[in-house]
Amino acid sequence: MSNEVGREPSGLGDQDAILVNSRMEKRTEPALSPLLLAMRGVVKTFGRSTAVDGIDLDVPERAFLTLLGPSGCGKTTVLRMIAGFETPDAGDMRLDNTPLAGVPPERRPVNTVFQSYALFPHLTVNENVAFALKLRGGVPDIPARVRRALEAVHMTDFGDRYPHQLSGGQQQRVAVARSIIAEPRLLLLDEPLSALDRKMRGHLQIELKALQRRLGIAFVYVTHDQEEAFALSDIVVVMNKGRIAQKADPQTIYSRPADSFVADFIGNSTLVEGRILERRGDMATIGTPLGDITAPVADGLAGGEAAMLVIRPELLSTRGEGPATFSGTVSNCVFQGERNMVQAEVADVSLRFTAEAPHVAGTSVALWLDADHSFITRIAT
Amino acid sequence: MTFRQRHLALPVVVAIVAGCIAPLAVLVAFSFYEVEDFDLIPAFSFRAWGDLATSTTDWFLIGKAVLSGVATTVFTALLGFPVALALTRLAASAKGLAIIVLLTPLYTGEIVRIYAWRIVLGGEGLVNTLLLALGLIDEPLKFLLFSPFTIGLVLTYNNLPFMVLAIWVSAEMVDRRLIEAARDLGARPVDAFFRVIFPLTTPGLAAGSLTVFALSAGEMLTPSLLGGTSGATAMALVDNLFGTAFDWPLASALALALLATLFLVASAMAGLLLRLKGARAVIGRA
Repeated sequence: MSNEVGREPSGLGDQDAILVNSRMEKRTEPALSPLLLAMRGVVKTFGRSTAVDGIDLDVPERAFLTLLGPSGCGKTTVLRMIAGFETPDAGDMRLDNTPLAGVPPERRPVNTVFQSYALFPHLTVNENVAFALKLRGGVPDIPARVRRALEAVHMTDFGDRYPHQLSGGQQQRVAVARSIIAEPRLLLLDEPLSALDRKMRGHLQIELKALQRRLGIAFVYVTHDQEEAFALSDIVVVMNKGRIAQKADPQTIYSRPADSFVADFIGNSTLVEGRILERRGDMATIGTPLGDITAPVADGLAGGEAAMLVIRPELLSTRGEGPATFSGTVSNCVFQGERNMVQAEVADVSLRFTAEAPHVAGTSVALWLDADHSFITRIAT
Repeated sequence: MTFRQRHLALPVVVAIVAGCIAPLAVLVAFSFYEVEDFDLIPAFSFRAWGDLATSTTDWFLIGKAVLSGVATTVFTALLGFPVALALTRLAASAKGLAIIVLLTPLYTGEIVRIYAWRIVLGGEGLVNTLLLALGLIDEPLKFLLFSPFTIGLVLTYNNLPFMVLAIWVSAEMVDRRLIEAARDLGARPVDAFFRVIFPLTTPGLAAGSLTVFALSAGEMLTPSLLGGTSGATAMALVDNLFGTAFDWPLASALALALLATLFLVASAMAGLLLRLKGARAVIGRA
């Protein structure tokens, strides 16, 4: 039982843990919400490839944290290490300040919503949801708790169905109900909505966020969809090649990407490489093929360094005051419903911008840039 | 199943009718014949069926065949599950080799295997010599050879590969994420086995059980050559009645009774195993 983490309060009653705890509390600033999960220098390799390359990650209590990145960036491996399905090769992981090393998945107060839902095909919805409670033995009132869990996901009428009799969205709801019934300290969600159509995905995003607020459980959510990450999260952690590229709130990630990888991954921004000519405080002037542009700059970038100017599509306008910033030729225009995504060629750079009116390829266009909201960032290694 | 797919089974249906139903019909006919002076005479006599109905030996041997089949099935299932699950954990490249090794006993002929067992289990055999040398026993163990123990051991050994293969194929089909989900929800490995892996491998268990039951219940050589005084089987009796005793009507009646009994037991096993929740989840509920 000494390996038990959090499931039973008595398991934490050991003297050393209390000492460590009180020492930690003194160092923690009161403004920060208490730390639930701490990962330090965690490394995981599979054969010759390094899936996770020394990451530090803190998950505060009640946070909705999203690991965002392309496939193969290591985000799912991080999730699997937290769940206990993979063992880190190096580094330290603590939940509620108790080391997780050597604790098998069944003893971690952590539950997972799997990408494929992984509902037990031979059990009904009720039996699937009751699974965690039945294993413990002696849990009173299981049917009532199953009912409450199914109520939370609006699935009370489906208790006697088998998984194959449910739609994808319904299976996803059951998977969520099954994972919250044991009241975990931390819920892990591995691309839970990726198999659903766009409309259902939108619905369930709203429901998941509401559920997370109501339960007060910390969520660690894995996705490759930046819109989903922005819609749901308090904290977004962008991962690239097994490392954390940036960890911040969605607005910061969007407006001040830490490097060109993040800028490229999260949107339709145009990235223009250049060299910083001069830095003054938080602003810098960067020399690019488009000309010299003065914009906010990332911390630590100095004059003379190579850098990347990030121009988000909504910062370019076809109307403005004074002389136009750029003039170019429209090369492509894609109708996207509310607006058009237009591409224009300016001095060998393809600039992407959004416009309400459609543009015809081959016509010339004048563009005004809102440089104060663009950003100069590092070139990702 | 579409009209055309059903016709793909036609050659097999023809083969079964020709190779199985037709001889059975002949057996049914023979069972009503009479024997006079070593001649089979077409008749409509119930003599053979009457003899069979009143013979305790015949029914004892039929019961023994059932018991032998069921026991072998249970032993191979108990031993086969761990082996089959271990196979699923091997690397893909190692699996092929492991399967070939598993099937090695089948490449040697049955007679060779039987005499090998005599050498291993005999009074001065490998096992007894080893145990004596280690000082674990003072005199050779007699029950090792020519006993019900021998029959059980060898039938289990012979049939284990079929059971392992059937369970293995089924276990490979169990989505590993279901096992992870079970662990995630608080299942120790043993809980995950009984609540997830076992239910979802029951189709394999059913296939293995039916195969092993059919093979071991009808086994004749192993009991008669290794079972000593306990080696009598219904099969051997049928053989004897057809051959030496030249009582084809009784042989036919006994063979049919044995066949019907084994068929009933196998049907019961299939019904039982395939009605389990896990089996229905895998093979469908239609």
